[in-house]
Amino acid sequence: MAASDYYLELTANPLRFEAGNQLTNVFFDDSNKQVFSVRSGGVMGVVVKGLNELDKPLNFRMEDRGPVLSIKFSLDLKILAVHRTNSSVEFMNFNGVSLEEEYSQSCKKNHKILGFVWTLENEVAFITDHGVELYKVISDKKSLKQLKTLSHSLQWFVWCPVNKIALLASAHGSQLQPIYFKTGTVGKLSRVESMPCKMALERDITLGTLYGTPAFLILRHQSGPQTAEVHIHELSGPGQAPVKTHILKLGMSGRFAINIVDNLILVHHQASRSSQIFDIALPGESDGIVKYHTAVGPAKSFKPASLTVPGLDDNQMQPCELYSPNWVVFQPNIVIDAKLGCLWHINLCLPNLCSVISDLVTCTRLLLRRSEGKIVLLNVLLMRIRQKEPPLEKIREAFNYINREYRTWLEIVLQNQTASPAHDPIRSKPIANGNIIIVDQIEIFNEIFLKLDEESEINKLEWVLIAYLTSLFEYDIKALQNMNELLVTTLVRRQKFTSLQQLLQYGVIADSKTLACILLSLGNIYEAGTQLALDMLSRLNAEEEIQEILLSQGQILTAMKLSPDKKNLRKFLQAAQDSNDEQIFHTVLYYFKNHPTHNAAFKRDSRLDGFIHYYNSLFQDK
Amino acid sequence: MGDETTTSLRNFFIFNPTLGTKEGEELKKILYYHPVTDHVDVQIKNVGLVEGIINFTGTFGVSSDITSLHTQKTRQIFLEAEKNFWMVMILNVPMTTKVKDGVSSPEYLEGAIQDKVYQSVLRQAYFIYRLFWNTFQNTTNKDGVDALKTRLEIFYSAYLKSLKLAHADILNIFSGIQYLPLDKLTFLKVQCLINGLECDYPQVTHTAFLYNDHLIWSSVEPSDMQVLYHYLISTLLPANLEVELQGGSMQRHSTSPFSALRHGRFVTGPSNLKNAKTTGKVPRIYTFSGPTASCYHLIVYRVLSASLCLFVKAEKELDIDFFRKFDSYISPKLTSLVSDIAEYCSKQVSSPSNVPENAPKFIYFNKFNLAYKSTVHLDNKQSGNVTISDEQLKIIADLNTNGSSIEDSTETVVKTLNDYWVVAKTSNYREFYIVEQQRNAHLIDISKDIKTICETELKGIFFQPI
Repeated sequence: MAASDYYLELTANPLRFEAGNQLTNVFFDDSNKQVFSVRSGGVMGVVVKGLNELDKPLNFRMEDRGPVLSIKFSLDLKILAVHRTNSSVEFMNFNGVSLEEEYSQSCKKNHKILGFVWTLENEVAFITDHGVELYKVISDKKSLKQLKTLSHSLQWFVWCPVNKIALLASAHGSQLQPIYFKTGTVGKLSRVESMPCKMALERDITLGTLYGTPAFLILRHQSGPQTAEVHIHELSGPGQAPVKTHILKLGMSGRFAINIVDNLILVHHQASRSSQIFDIALPGESDGIVKYHTAVGPAKSFKPASLTVPGLDDNQMQPCELYSPNWVVFQPNIVIDAKLGCLWHINLCLPNLCSVISDLVTCTRLLLRRSEGKIVLLNVLLMRIRQKEPPLEKIREAFNYINREYRTWLEIVLQNQTASPAHDPIRSKPIANGNIIIVDQIEIFNEIFLKLDEESEINKLEWVLIAYLTSLFEYDIKALQNMNELLVTTLVRRQKFTSLQQLLQYGVIADSKTLACILLSLGNIYEAGTQLALDMLSRLNAEEEIQEILLSQGQILTAMKLSPDKKNLRKFLQAAQDSNDEQIFHTVLYYFKNHPTHNAAFKRDSRLDGFIHYYNSLFQDK
Repeated sequence: MGDETTTSLRNFFIFNPTLGTKEGEELKKILYYHPVTDHVDVQIKNVGLVEGIINFTGTFGVSSDITSLHTQKTRQIFLEAEKNFWMVMILNVPMTTKVKDGVSSPEYLEGAIQDKVYQSVLRQAYFIYRLFWNTFQNTTNKDGVDALKTRLEIFYSAYLKSLKLAHADILNIFSGIQYLPLDKLTFLKVQCLINGLECDYPQVTHTAFLYNDHLIWSSVEPSDMQVLYHYLISTLLPANLEVELQGGSMQRHSTSPFSALRHGRFVTGPSNLKNAKTTGKVPRIYTFSGPTASCYHLIVYRVLSASLCLFVKAEKELDIDFFRKFDSYISPKLTSLVSDIAEYCSKQVSSPSNVPENAPKFIYFNKFNLAYKSTVHLDNKQSGNVTISDEQLKIIADLNTNGSSIEDSTETVVKTLNDYWVVAKTSNYREFYIVEQQRNAHLIDISKDIKTICETELKGIFFQPI
């Protein structure tokens, strides 16, 4: 199977548990991410497996007091709560090995418990058809204390353990009421904007977090030829009010399941056995309030997965059915096949995803917000640059997106440096809000430019360097000196001296003494090199170096003019002597002789006597 | 006051003495002769005289070849453009008539013609020919002498009409290029456009980018660009502008309301992309900076004030499809870029016209990139539209003749009788001429002025210290 045929895969080693059957019931607690296998109501044992592979599975027994509806540990794993009847939940303290005696809490009379959630380590909320009852569990006393109640009639609810938010549905799912839990209290948020005559099923609602903001994702099935949509309500309004901000156009209809991985929304479609990926940070058509998104790439199926099953001789690999009707998904990235007894994580294969996104700019913007995006991004860029006709304009645009974030980061660094006088070196790049990765100049230089070192790629190197520098300037970022040097050496390797001259002329290449030396050394093959070097040194006020160059050119008088104190008599006299120009030598010597300060030097420094002798030998006959 | 004449062309001929060595075959030597109205005998006589002088001076074995001959009424400029191919330009020396004691006598102004200036004019005439037709020798070898004669006839009879001899000056010697000052970001955007173009159209070997009369970018060696630049700004683009003003290119816009959004069109190539069946006239040009001459199609595409020159190897066939594709490829990109450039330029309005009247005027020239800048010349049409007097211009040209090596730093100050100061400075392969009028000024005052001007105008480069 070619790599480009999938971009999602299931983890190779799924969590295996005892599959559900007549005797065994399986439960998943998505707060603690634990799978409970309850054999014969607990009498035959309860096995709890966590996602952390290092955790040993918990194994204990409990009394069978009727069929279990739901079973969950408290967040600190010290209290087990079991929901068996409509009116009460039983609690058992757990010491890590076995359970203690049971204590129970009933809800209000004539209320029916729909479910319960652990909101804090020792706080539990019963969600009944009449509202919410919040209790504090006092495990020492084996009793519960009511903290708060909230009345609201509902039919079902969805719970988000990360944000401690629940969505209560009434009127057949056409009215959705979010509530939030905080220590000791529960409160209502503004109601989710409803759509007339639109009902939602429990399985059509996903609660998650997108780029740091809690969000409700609601699948809206359409009638007729229209295809389904996902409406995203972010809790971004005042007082965390939900606001519909994005609509994902699925282009299909049928049964869907949603996961959120690395802030990307994965929408699985059962009928076509394929998944689509959406990123709400990418641009989309907008009506001013709501942005409409299409999938970032074509829909693809999961990478085929297989399970090892113990066979007669040897372990055999058995392919798993993907998109099976037995699949249940949990947030953020969990897929459970209760029949197979497998729990997988969904992995995103970023390189494969990028290979199906043809537009480099979209690809760049996507990768900039992925936690593992940096290496992939650098590889994608390098690959696109290496292709036969690199899309230079797109590459430049991609650099612009990279540098926009880079610039923002540089500003933060600068602010921090000015704010803290202690000069803490801020070496590590902060994972900024919204999961943005920063690709700095050194990384681009090492991972892209230095890799384009083959002779056949040198023209591309020049193009891309120019594109990158343009982008840096666009964001007002000073280019690193080795960028400039690389550009110069590249142009020299390509013998493009005319280009070099023009780039220097327009100030694209920043001045430095190193560069001036490179230019100076070009003098043999490129005449104007010396001129360019002198210009650069003059901009750097490097008068010493200019003097040396002028002296080497035999321009002794100009060099002397440049030296304010002319202290180094020997240097000038020696150069004048080497020039074999009697007149120059005469001029230089007489200038020093006639100057009172310098004249004194002749008396002090016996090394200057040689010049007097030379002078006399030149002129004694004349 | 009597009659006055200006410098004018008397004769222009090209001959090769090796083509007719026998007596009676003198006419064969002559490859081109202007004016044609001269009788054949006169032509032979004139050519013979020049040949004689060349042979005569040749016997002395002087180190430098003969370049000109001064007579009272004429000035003859010689150029051995290629081995044995001599180009000769004979000029009428300007004359005024003086009336003294009722008797009028002509007075010839010998000083009005500066050899170096007109040698440059002659050399330029050769280079422009060579740009389109390759060398004389090449044509002779490939197509024969008669073909050469025909080409010379076609080319020079038109070219000589366009010569502006009366206003030839120091700029002819430089034959320089005016670059457009731009900020680095805008320049880099130009670069990116060019790089993209070279990447997407690999058949384009070289490019040049002009904005109005100013060069922004060229990947051609300066020595070739200099000839092409002068052809572009003095012939091709002005002629094209006239067509534009007459509404020649507007027809296309009327066909669809949307086409008005597109501003680009080909200056050389098909004039009307929609209906054209052929590619139109695309000139071939030759460049000589490489080891051998290379031949290219020269395609010039213009959007608003910007001209983009493409050099496509002559072996490549051009078809109308290429032009159509290229037009739709480049037009939108170029349009947005040109507005960036225009915006930048409008911020930096500094034309010679808004410099105060008596401010010092200057001419700057860099030998390496052939860049020149002049506040002396108000346009680059050689129309004599200058801010200083003829006399001062001539002094500048003389100072240029004197300065032999511009690697060294030199400074020459000339004071004229009417209180003008002309200063020539050379340093680091650059030349800088300043003209200033100051009554009763001392050399020290002038030096101070020169210093300020150097500081403002020669920022960012190394020029000799003062």
